[in-house]
Parts: sequence; C-alpha cells; structure tokens
Amino acid sequence: MERQTVFTLLDVERTYELGKAGWFGKSRGRLKALDGVRLELRRGDSLALVGESGSGKSTLVRIMLGLEPASDGRVLYGQHDLGQLDPAARKRFAREVAFIYQNARGSMNPRLRIADILAEPIRLHRLRPEAEMTGRVAELLARVGLPAEMAERFPNELSGGQIRRVAIARALAAEPQVIMADESVAGLDVSVQAQVLNLLRDLCREGGITLVFITHDLGVASYLCERIAVLYLGRIVEQGPTGAILGNPRHPYTRGLMQAFPKFGAPLTAPLKGEIPSPVNLPQGCRFAGRCPEARDACRETDPVLAEQAGRQVACHFPLEVAQ
Amino acid sequence: MSDATPMPASAWRRRFLTPIARQRTAMVGLAILAVYVVGALLAPWIASHDPTAQDLMAALQGPSAQHWLGTDSFGQDLYSRLLYGARLALVIGFASVALGLVVGVAIGLAAGLIGGRTEWLLMRITDGLLAFPELILAMAFMAVLGLGTENLVYALALSFVGPFARMTRSDVLQVKSQPYIEAARLMGVPTAAVIWRHVLPNVVSPILVQGGMRVSIAILLESGLSFLGIGVVPPTPDWGLMIAEGRAFITMAPWISGVPGLALAILLVALNLVGDGLRDAFDPSTQRE
Ligand SMILES: Nc1ncnc2c1ncn2[C@@H]1O[C@H](COP(=O)(O)OP(=O)(O)OP(=O)(O)O)[C@@H](O)[C@H]1O
Ligand SMILES: [Mg+2]
Repeated sequence: MERQTVFTLLDVERTYELGKAGWFGKSRGRLKALDGVRLELRRGDSLALVGESGSGKSTLVRIMLGLEPASDGRVLYGQHDLGQLDPAARKRFAREVAFIYQNARGSMNPRLRIADILAEPIRLHRLRPEAEMTGRVAELLARVGLPAEMAERFPNELSGGQIRRVAIARALAAEPQVIMADESVAGLDVSVQAQVLNLLRDLCREGGITLVFITHDLGVASYLCERIAVLYLGRIVEQGPTGAILGNPRHPYTRGLMQAFPKFGAPLTAPLKGEIPSPVNLPQGCRFAGRCPEARDACRETDPVLAEQAGRQVACHFPLEVAQ
Repeated sequence: MSDATPMPASAWRRRFLTPIARQRTAMVGLAILAVYVVGALLAPWIASHDPTAQDLMAALQGPSAQHWLGTDSFGQDLYSRLLYGARLALVIGFASVALGLVVGVAIGLAAGLIGGRTEWLLMRITDGLLAFPELILAMAFMAVLGLGTENLVYALALSFVGPFARMTRSDVLQVKSQPYIEAARLMGVPTAAVIWRHVLPNVVSPILVQGGMRVSIAILLESGLSFLGIGVVPPTPDWGLMIAEGRAFITMAPWISGVPGLALAILLVALNLVGDGLRDAFDPSTQRE
C-alpha cells in the first residue's frame, strides 16, 4: 500500500533581495537561498537534511512550515497548496505539524513558566482536560529527561541543554503527526543526546510520526533517519536511503562531507579545496564544480539536474561509481 | 495593567518583590514616599487648621506652637497647607501619568500591532506631540483649557502621551520580531491571545518603569505651572502656588517658600530613587540573561 503524501515540494525557489532598505534602497543583488528543490515526504518518513552552513536547510524547513513564502514553485501539504489553506485547514496544520527551533531559548516567551509553555498547545487544541494538565506536563518533561520541578521555572533559569529539551517536549505536547527539528541535538551532552535521539526514533518507528531533521552530524542522521537529502548552495545534490548514500556516496560533495564526518560537534564542512561560490553570484554550470576533485569541462558548462539513479537521486554529470 | 498570566504567590514574589527589595536606594526612596503618602491620606485628621482658612491677624508668623511651620501672608497655616499640598501633588502626579500612560500605550499598541497607514498616522500625531518640550506643551494646553486642577491633569497627561506612545510602539515592534511570537503563531495561537499572552507581558515592565519615573516629572511640571500662575487656582493648597506666594517675602519670611520648596525637593529625590530602582530591577537591559 502506498503511504499518504504529507508534503510535496515542486521546484521551490527562495530568493532574498539583499541590501534593500526602505522604498528607495538599492538592491545589492539577489541571493538564491533555495534553487529548484523537489521533495516528497510520505507519512512515516524520516528525512535528514544535511549540508554546510548556509546551504539553505533552515530556509527549506521554514518554507515547508509556511513561515516564509516560496518565491517560485509550489508547496503542497497533503493535496492542498500551503499558501491557500482555509482557516480550518490552517488550524489543523498548526496542530499536526510541530517545529523545534534552532534557537530554542528564543522560541519561548521569557515571561511564561515552563508549565505554561508546555500547556499552551495542549490547551489550545483541547488535547487534555485542565485537571490532567499538571500530570501531562510532568510526563512530557520526563520524556525528555527533565525533573517535574522544572515546570515552575522560567526559561532564563534553565541551561542551554535543558531549554532545548523543553523545546522538544513542547513539540510533543501538541501530539503532532509531523515534527521538524532544526539542529535539535547539537550541543547536548552525549548521554542526553542519546536519550533524545532514542525518543525521536521511537516516535518515528512506533508512533508513525513523520520527521524532518536538520543536522550537521552524519552519525545522527544515519541513526535517526531512513532518508537523507544533501544540500549544497540551495540545491539538493543527492537524496535517497541514508544507509545507501552514506555507505556509497555517488555525489562528490557527499563524499567530501563524509570525509569531514568524525569531527564531533563542529559545524559540518567538506574538507575540499576551492572557494564556496557566493549564493548571490552562482557560477555557470555545476555549482560544485569549483571545489569538485572530479570536475571536467562539461561540469563548468551545464548545470546537472537531479536525476533518478538506482534508487536514489543525484545531481551530477559524472556520479561516482558504486563501490562493490 | 497587570501581568497576563496568573502566577502563584511564590513566582510573583520571585519576579517582583525580591528584585525590588534588592535595590537598597529604592527602598529608601520608597520609605520617604510612604511618609508623604501617609501624610496626604491622613491630612484631614492630622492637619491643625483648615488649609484655606485665612487669618490676617496671624499673617507672616514664624513657626510657633499655634502654627507649627508658620503662616503665609494671608495667615493660612503652612503645616496644614503642606499636607493638603502633598495630597494634591501626588494625586495630580499619579493621575496625569496614569492617564497619559493609558492613552499613549493604547496608541503605541495600535500602531505597533496594526502597522501600515494606521501606524503612519498615529506616529505622525505622536511626532507632533513630541516636537514640543513637556512644559511648553502643558502650558499651551492650559492656555486652551483654562486654569483648574482637573485641566492641569489633562494637560500633563497630554504631554506624556507622546513619549509613552513612541516607547510602546518600539517595544511592540521589537517583541513582535521575536521567535517566540512566530512560534506561537505557528502553533495556531489566535492573534488576540498572542497579543495578550506573548506581546503585552513583554512590553509592560519597561512601560511601568517609565511611568514610575515620570511621576516625579509630572509633579515638578505641576508645581512649575502653578508657580507660573497657569496651574491650579488659589487658594488651593498647592506647593507651586505656595512657593510663588512666598517669593515676595523671601527675606522677611523665608519659611513661606522654603517649607513647600523643601517638601517638593525631597519628594522628587525620593521618586527618582524609586524610579531608578524600578528600572534597575526590571529593565531587561540591566537584568541578567
Ligand atoms: N532573511 C534573509 N535575508 C537574506 N538572506 C538570508 C535570509 N535568511 C537566510 N538567508 C541566506 O540564505 C542562505 C541559507 O540560509 P539558511 O539559514 O537556510 O542556512 P542553513 O543551511 O540553515 O545554515 P546553518 O547550518 O548555519 O543554520 C544563507 O546564505 C543565508 O545567508
Ligand atoms: Mg539553519
């Protein structure tokens, strides 16, 4: 049986006008944060988004959440265009899709106690009667490994790791069907990280939750997610089953990322020579050509499209051989 | 305005009482202020004379058992006038700030939340109000409205609308761009609840701090206007009036101006201490993150 489609992205682009201030400001150029992204997410999928800083991971997720409009292309939630949901569907979307912010502390009202922060989505969508609220809050805190006393505190009284876990608990509070998380385990202690990862993994495997997980840790990606999409300068360069791709990368950029892999906690950077081109001024041809050890003349002339290749999609004229 | 969320007593204490109590100088200011408030409240009982009763036979007397702080040129008892004057000063100070705050905050909220043309229009009005110094603005309004205690409150309140409106708007804009507002919207929190639960509580404390600091300005302006003869009407017991009245006798009866002048100075110092303490306790920029 074919699983239901949750999100469909059709050639989504996102351009930012740079340096435009006021009505008369002069634009200093256009930055393509996303450039022709095609993606399909089915119920129960778990997708890792990886790529260097600035590759457009957060932008992609924000567009899927409707927090930013796509400059071009379409985003469908189920069968419907995300930008044109009617109020009832909007409300359903708000309950079904939860987002865990990269900046967890900033995403919480500093004037509310943790108990009220966690109770907000529960009250809003009437998921529990008021009498069970305290118990439910304690239960949510316990799931992310925090003691129930935390409920009485204010966000600025919690450490960075604790506040990240509260952010995860708040996402769970809404009992969503889709969770999107932006760097949610980065900077957590290894043991806490393992606990949170196990929790998310259980939610996906048993709870049937659809997960989109931004990470710069390929180990986390392979542990948590069945699928992976590698972004480079606003474009997906390789996409498919995590095991296959990390076991046998076919795009030279994916291989580059993997050579950087053992660095713990540091932002992901491919140890490749050459400059990352500015997203304002993309080169003709393949955007990775300047750093690619395999680049040939054809790469500098035509931009490769994302093409289906043996169970995965690769945007490369000369994909690497599958090692046997 | 109160905090939007009901808080248990312990949290209330931690968020409001402890930070204030930690400000030593503010506590001194608060103690002095308390003396004034008690004096003002109990004026009808602890005053020795009717504050407007004239007794020309007893004019220009120095302090005595009969008149503790002496009398003025009409023979009115200065001690009694001082107490009733405190009452008037505090009432005018707090009432004008409260009124200016309510109107200014409403304008600032509307401008910051609605945006667009409404914001443009409201902010141009605010700019117009802010173009004049408070004293000049209040004087102009008094000239239009006429003398009297009530009109003085309106005039002072009007001169405070501009600063409160501008400040509220900029705070609202700043809070509106915070990720937690976006997060609340994403969770589907209705707009009214976003404003009530997430925007208001985060702009309210700097506004209240500003309000506290402005009370002293209001009292100073009030006395100043009365001193200039465009405030309350004689023989209302008012410190500004009393100072003006004593000017002519400053060499022969210095206590007539001196007593209310000193009372005013001490009250202003106390209010400023409290205001600074409030700011240090609640202004996010001085708070630990
Ligand atoms: N509001 C904006 N205005 C202009 N440019 C933007 C804006 N938001 C993002 N960008 C640009 O878009 C590109 C992609 O940004 P994005 O935040 O999606 O990167 P990311 O992959 O999430 O990076 P990181 O791993 O550092 O979080 C970057 O070049 C960034 O500078
Ligand atoms: Mg990001």
